[in-house]
Amino acid sequence: MNVISKVIESLADILDFDPNNIGPETYLIRDLEAESIDLLELAVVLNTEFKIEVDDDEIFLKTLRIYLDKPKECPKDMGEYMMEKYPYLTRERIKEILEDLPHGPVIKVKDLVSYINWKN
Amino acid sequence: MGLFSSLGSDPEAIVENILKDRVTFERPVYDPTTAVSPVHDFNLKDHTGRFKDARYLNRGVEFALAAALKAINASKLRPDQCERAGLFVGSGPNMDLGGECPDIRDGQIVQDPLPALFLLRFLPNTAASAISRLAGIHGENLSVGSACAASMMAVGEAFRKVKDGYLDLAFAGGGDSRLSPGGILAYKKAQALWQGIEDPRQTYAPFDVCRTGFVAGEGGASVLIESLDHAKARGARILAEICGYGSAMDGYTMTAPEPQGTWAEHAVQHALSEAGLNPGDVDLISTHGTGTVLNDRMEAGMIQRVFKGHSPKITALKSWIGHLASACGAVELALCLSCLELGLFPGVRNLVEPLNPELHFLKAPTSMNPRTILLENFGFGGQNSALVIQSWKP
Repeated sequence: MNVISKVIESLADILDFDPNNIGPETYLIRDLEAESIDLLELAVVLNTEFKIEVDDDEIFLKTLRIYLDKPKECPKDMGEYMMEKYPYLTRERIKEILEDLPHGPVIKVKDLVSYINWKN
Repeated sequence: MGLFSSLGSDPEAIVENILKDRVTFERPVYDPTTAVSPVHDFNLKDHTGRFKDARYLNRGVEFALAAALKAINASKLRPDQCERAGLFVGSGPNMDLGGECPDIRDGQIVQDPLPALFLLRFLPNTAASAISRLAGIHGENLSVGSACAASMMAVGEAFRKVKDGYLDLAFAGGGDSRLSPGGILAYKKAQALWQGIEDPRQTYAPFDVCRTGFVAGEGGASVLIESLDHAKARGARILAEICGYGSAMDGYTMTAPEPQGTWAEHAVQHALSEAGLNPGDVDLISTHGTGTVLNDRMEAGMIQRVFKGHSPKITALKSWIGHLASACGAVELALCLSCLELGLFPGVRNLVEPLNPELHFLKAPTSMNPRTILLENFGFGGQNSALVIQSWKP
């Protein structure tokens, strides 16, 4: 089973959702209503499933808004800065995230997949 | 009222099972020397719909939650009425040792397949938390952990809160299941379980001289306790009146009851006194009646003493559903309420030679309309509780 299928299966199990309604573009919090308690569970499952050491802050973009709130540390190019902080995300995805920020929590299923692939 | 029991979860199923003498006793694969009474075809999600926190509920809590939701649904309360309702839940320990514990050897965790918040499956207030979340209940509340007296004590405490004017309405009940290798192991080691080579359906007999212990059961129940004024004002269907409650502790051993039943009697007398009734007013006693050597001897002796000169009928619902541990009080109350509605009460199954022949045990299903019922539940640790209810006559 590939990474995306395993991630979707884990999300469906933890969040009690039909896996057929989850895809790479699904938002974890906006669509699947994940709460902090669910992200804790997800981290435990991904640790076990993929035998990786999941960093909660990194994978769930928990510190994203903190980084954005520190303009002094931010260089001129916010995209570059974000790529340093989240090396597993592509430039395009970072751009997407920055544009999407006003609409709510940005993390999508495909971000988890990127993180796992990067860790492996 | 909401009920899940192996005898049935609504009056129609209950009466059919009683009349056909049907119980679900079977030998569990994890220990075929014992017997259990499972509730078949129970699926939590049928009652909650999508509910991601279900992963934190052990099977007993699943029953407590489903029963509460069923009771809330049956009550026809509006959301704003539910919001200020109280919630009182009897809660037992999670004994699913094999399914819930990491592999620990020489003090080191070798393997840990547990979810991040597996501790929720052990916290005593997980049932209340889940019920509150799904039903929007926010009033005064209490999770009671007094062993096999827990859910009767939850009912008793809720009754007092309503009686004393702290609440207009409160849901009270509980759910439990010891149908797991750990649960059975615990009570087997304590020598409290029915064991034998015979068919448990033919031989589990509380109050019989040949009794050997209890059949472990599972299930849950919840009742809405409401002040009369409040119930009348909203046109509620009143099932019965709770008239008195009593509780007391033995202060004796950690498991065995005090042999004379001194403090069990105290609980019973207190419940009768609060109800303003005398022993002669009691028509039926729903006993704790576990089928253990020590409980039944104590309880029969105590009943004979308290009810000397009177002849209340006596039944033991555990002979039909097994022992539901912390949930037995709520479930036996709900079954009594169902039986009141049906006008039919089950007797003590398989009772051939009562250890106390002077007592008036029901030995077969009996059509009756008792006015006053005394319910008794006792628990490890010397917990005693008693409740007096009366059929409702407007």
